[in-house]
Amino acid sequence: MSNIQTEKLTKTYGAGGTTVTALDHVNILINEGEFVAIMGPSGCGKSTLLHLLGGLDKPSDGHVLIGGHNLSDLNDDKLTELRRRKIGFVFQFFNLIPVLNAVENAALPVTLDGVKPVEAKSKATEWLTRFGLSDRLMNRPDQLSGGQQQRVAIARALVANPELILADEPTGNLDTRSSDEIASLLRDVSKQYGRTIVMVTHDPRIAAYADRIIFLKDGKVADETRLEKKNGKNAEDVVEKMKQLSN
Amino acid sequence: MSVRNAILGLLAKKPRHGYELRVAFSAVVGGASWDVKPAQIYTTLDRLEESGLVQTKSDIGEGREPDRRIYAITRDGRHALKEWFADGVTSEHQRDEFYVKLMIGLISEEADPARIIQTQRVKLFQELHDATAQRDQYDARAQLAKIFLSDKVIMHLEADLRWLDMIEMRIEAIKKQPLDEVEIRKRGRPKKEDGGSTHPPPAE
Repeated sequence: MSNIQTEKLTKTYGAGGTTVTALDHVNILINEGEFVAIMGPSGCGKSTLLHLLGGLDKPSDGHVLIGGHNLSDLNDDKLTELRRRKIGFVFQFFNLIPVLNAVENAALPVTLDGVKPVEAKSKATEWLTRFGLSDRLMNRPDQLSGGQQQRVAIARALVANPELILADEPTGNLDTRSSDEIASLLRDVSKQYGRTIVMVTHDPRIAAYADRIIFLKDGKVADETRLEKKNGKNAEDVVEKMKQLSN
Repeated sequence: MSVRNAILGLLAKKPRHGYELRVAFSAVVGGASWDVKPAQIYTTLDRLEESGLVQTKSDIGEGREPDRRIYAITRDGRHALKEWFADGVTSEHQRDEFYVKLMIGLISEEADPARIIQTQRVKLFQELHDATAQRDQYDARAQLAKIFLSDKVIMHLEADLRWLDMIEMRIEAIKKQPLDEVEIRKRGRPKKEDGGSTHPPPAE
């Protein structure tokens, strides 16, 4: 898998006079390892776009290409396999299983995929530890805060080692502080572990963590912007430089 | 005003050189975001001295060059500082260049208001991106003061972005409302032949 591309991606709902166009000939290209936020007002088509990228829904017209493979050419079995092995999903409401603990929840996708439970749990534990949950491994969702539950959900999304993470309003159900933690963690997942992340959000604060923001409006790409990183240029460096200049 | 009062507050803690004050002020406001030139520090100190709020300690014997003088707060200075702490601070949101740009864009019709909004949105997102990246660098166990300032910046940018969303949705509506222009009155004494009335002009 290298990158994600959409070609004239179109989705309409309904028929006849009541047709609603959710996506209207959208062309986007997302590079490997990129962290992209999709923004736009309610009903602009951002969730529809995410569902189509993840093969959760079928386009009315146009294509989604993942690593050059056209999702429309895959039969249901192949599509399921792609979703299970190549794509991790993160949702607003975490969708954890209440009776399973953190490790069991995070291990679930690979357990279902036939990986031995011991191996699956070890992989899950690895991600949970990276996400600072080493002392919460045996806790069930109701014993975890919202932010911790979402970290478990992100570990679950990563456990099958997918290259692409699709996140639908991942901070929509969290307070500001936890939202920042989750957004920062997603940025790390993209930068440190080289995963491609496409995140739908209505929250500007969270979108600002991304490398690029795509603005959708009325089902079309209205604009996009690449957010430049200031490498190592933090305030202290600037102050230091100012001091040197004034001496 | 903040620089003046910050200097008084820093001197209330202990007497300092002008250079020390500048460094201490930079540390308080988080460095690069608020650059205070040495000249401003010394001008402020001169004014404070003239008003009797600080005094130079000449008995140190370090000479009279501005950067060697040691300044100390006076009793009046402590009183002025107390008054500053006793009052709230008025926030300044009225003089907003973006707002002026948008309105002038609407009036002059020289630019597309929707484009002005989007351009600003992109700029704010870049600032927000920098601010969140910067805050991530701070250690909450040792640099909480800097995190507080970052949070303020982040939350204001967030509010500005939300406000852009809001006005964008209503931009067509404002185009239908003519903007008020303040009536212009003739200056000076009215001429006699005008019968004393300069405005409104007599109907023909």
